[in-house]
Amino acid sequence: MIPGHARAGGPSGALRPAPRFGREQLKARVITMRRYMLGRVGQLVLTLLIYMTMVYFLMQAMPGDISQVYLANPRIPQAARLELKKQLGLDRPPFFQYLSYIKNFFTGNLGVSFSHYPRPVWDILVERLPRTIVLFVTANCLSFYVGFVLGRIIAWQRGATVDRMATVVGITFWTAFYPLLSLILIWLFAFTLNRLPLNQFIEPALWIKAPFTSNTVFGYMVLGASVIALAVFLIFWVFRRGLRRTRRSAAMAWAMTAGVIGLAIWIAHATGTLIYIWDIIRHMILPVCTLTLINFAGTMLLMRDSMLETVQEDYVMAARAKGLPDNVVRDRYAARNALLPTVTSLVLSLASSMSGGLVTETMFSWPGIGQVLFRAAIGNDYPLATGALVFTGVFLLVAHFVADVLYAFLDPRISYTGQPAAEG
Amino acid sequence: MDALLSVEDFTMHYRTKAGWVQAVDGVSFALKRGQALGLVGESGCGKTSVAMSIMRLLPYNAEIKHGRITLGGRDVYAMASEEFRQVRWKEISMIFQAAMNALNPVYTVGSQIVEAIVEHEPETTEEQARRRVAELFDLVGIPADRADHYPHEYSGGMKQRAVIAMALACNPSLIIADEPTTALDVIVQDKILREMEEIRRRINMSMIYISHDISVIAEVSDIVGVMYAGKLMEIGEADDVFKRPRHPYTYGLMHAYPSILGAKRDLATIPGEPPNLMAPPAGCRFNPRCDRATDECRAVEPKLIKAGPEHRIACHNPVWTPSSGGERVGAAR
Repeated sequence: MIPGHARAGGPSGALRPAPRFGREQLKARVITMRRYMLGRVGQLVLTLLIYMTMVYFLMQAMPGDISQVYLANPRIPQAARLELKKQLGLDRPPFFQYLSYIKNFFTGNLGVSFSHYPRPVWDILVERLPRTIVLFVTANCLSFYVGFVLGRIIAWQRGATVDRMATVVGITFWTAFYPLLSLILIWLFAFTLNRLPLNQFIEPALWIKAPFTSNTVFGYMVLGASVIALAVFLIFWVFRRGLRRTRRSAAMAWAMTAGVIGLAIWIAHATGTLIYIWDIIRHMILPVCTLTLINFAGTMLLMRDSMLETVQEDYVMAARAKGLPDNVVRDRYAARNALLPTVTSLVLSLASSMSGGLVTETMFSWPGIGQVLFRAAIGNDYPLATGALVFTGVFLLVAHFVADVLYAFLDPRISYTGQPAAEG
Repeated sequence: MDALLSVEDFTMHYRTKAGWVQAVDGVSFALKRGQALGLVGESGCGKTSVAMSIMRLLPYNAEIKHGRITLGGRDVYAMASEEFRQVRWKEISMIFQAAMNALNPVYTVGSQIVEAIVEHEPETTEEQARRRVAELFDLVGIPADRADHYPHEYSGGMKQRAVIAMALACNPSLIIADEPTTALDVIVQDKILREMEEIRRRINMSMIYISHDISVIAEVSDIVGVMYAGKLMEIGEADDVFKRPRHPYTYGLMHAYPSILGAKRDLATIPGEPPNLMAPPAGCRFNPRCDRATDECRAVEPKLIKAGPEHRIACHNPVWTPSSGGERVGAAR
């Protein structure tokens, strides 16, 4: 009836070794990608310089200066005051101050905070910035993931009850007044139900006898989380890369993930840091959930729109015709292509939530960079305010870079040479 | 031999805000194993709708009014969706209209074919499937190492070939080729058609070619069906239909194409436009454009009736051309 498979290429076809898909391609891609990334880094450094200049002169343009606050103490003699002013370098013209700031910046010297004198700015940033970054990156990744998954489902079941409900709920949170929502959540979970801590970053009563500082534990926690994330990514890449995703490979991947997390918990337990890490995580839950609730609808609706376009594409029809299961058509065809435009929104939402970070940090008394920046700006602490702004900018530039690389990684049509890929 | 595919009095309408679009109306034909059927007609006459009906890929607003499609004796629309999913590609595959967009841009072409193979043949390893892709690429004339490339790195002709290779991947007994070569230039078109025909004959596969281009259909089909406004007007063996067309529409369609070898003549056009399928004309749907229309044509819808051993037409007042190249009898245009 239907002849065997071998007939397609004649008997000789069966003897040929299977071609290795992707090896050569991958190598060429890595080389062009490296070149592309180097060029991108150059652009980012240039952007950073422009940004620093703007930040610096905006700070200079602020009314008043530290000498009025800090040097106006009548008990300090005039000569000492001038000496101090000279020592801080505030007697030189702004342009020379700027030049020396840029020079010092690239040698790793951000100056000394006026308001925390004599604490170096760098020291304060190292303490505060990671807390803010971890909080907002976690919240943004979570809300992106929630939005992506929900958007995928509601686009696939367009017009169904789940579509309407998710849209209404999402829009409600999206338009809610953020401080009010966070207050309601704090009232509900921290006050009424008493399940989560009210605010702050740690529970002082617990840490008073701790053999570590909170920053050390936090540092290890971030490091550990990164290692776990990388390991889980690698596990899934190895086990779920193939086209035939069997139940067994899924079970293996999940089992190994559980193993990695178990190992991490065991290490934390063995070093005695587990309760402290758990304390920090507990304090992160409310702000992260609030940010997620506020933000997920953006990604969700974007994903929905994007996917409603891709489901019209011929390749989705072709995938159905190929007899692929419904979830494969949805995930590997419709959603995979709809994902591309939403990646950009990940960075944009990160930027907007970081810049609105002060509100979150104030509502949850989260000791992050937003509060530092606010107080430094109020108190005319130029070095600290400039440093905080510049490093928030550095972080966002890095995030843009990651998004660029991610985008290029996700879409093979992106050309690294700067020209659009030839079509057809 | 039994019919591989049979379509019996199949009627499918689309529900739109403005009303029902009668896209496919009372179409019946049967296809034996190894036969090639050509469906020809103007744009919007329901050819693609027939193809989508057979593949069970109709949009949500399509409604089957009556009729039946059976594939290898099984009713396509009576199967559970999971059961029919297994039938797709394994028994019946498709070469899409606009093959340019039928490939997922984010995966390599090879992996998309491998995906189809491993889905339908659980016993085939990925390694074996890749080897088969290399063979298929050989068969359709693409260098095997191009399997690693992404669709945007292919030329139009190569994408078309890749889509053909994909359709062949699971050795289906029937392939539906919907405008397989329309997007290509004539030389490539001819080459690909010949190759497809060669493969088809070699592996005794059935095929449905769908095209608005009668010359494409003439080149490859054993049986030709002519569709007009959602109805099958004439169907029969290619020789019969092309040399002795009986339906005035078929006759008009054949004379609307130039012949390179034939004598120089003015192209005859069919006056008017295809009807609005929401409110098709009473009687024969072709009657407003037909120069042989009578009162009967305007009142009574003609049924498909036998006009030869394997030849059926839906016409009250058929044309009679006694032999090939014969003079047309009837009213002069």
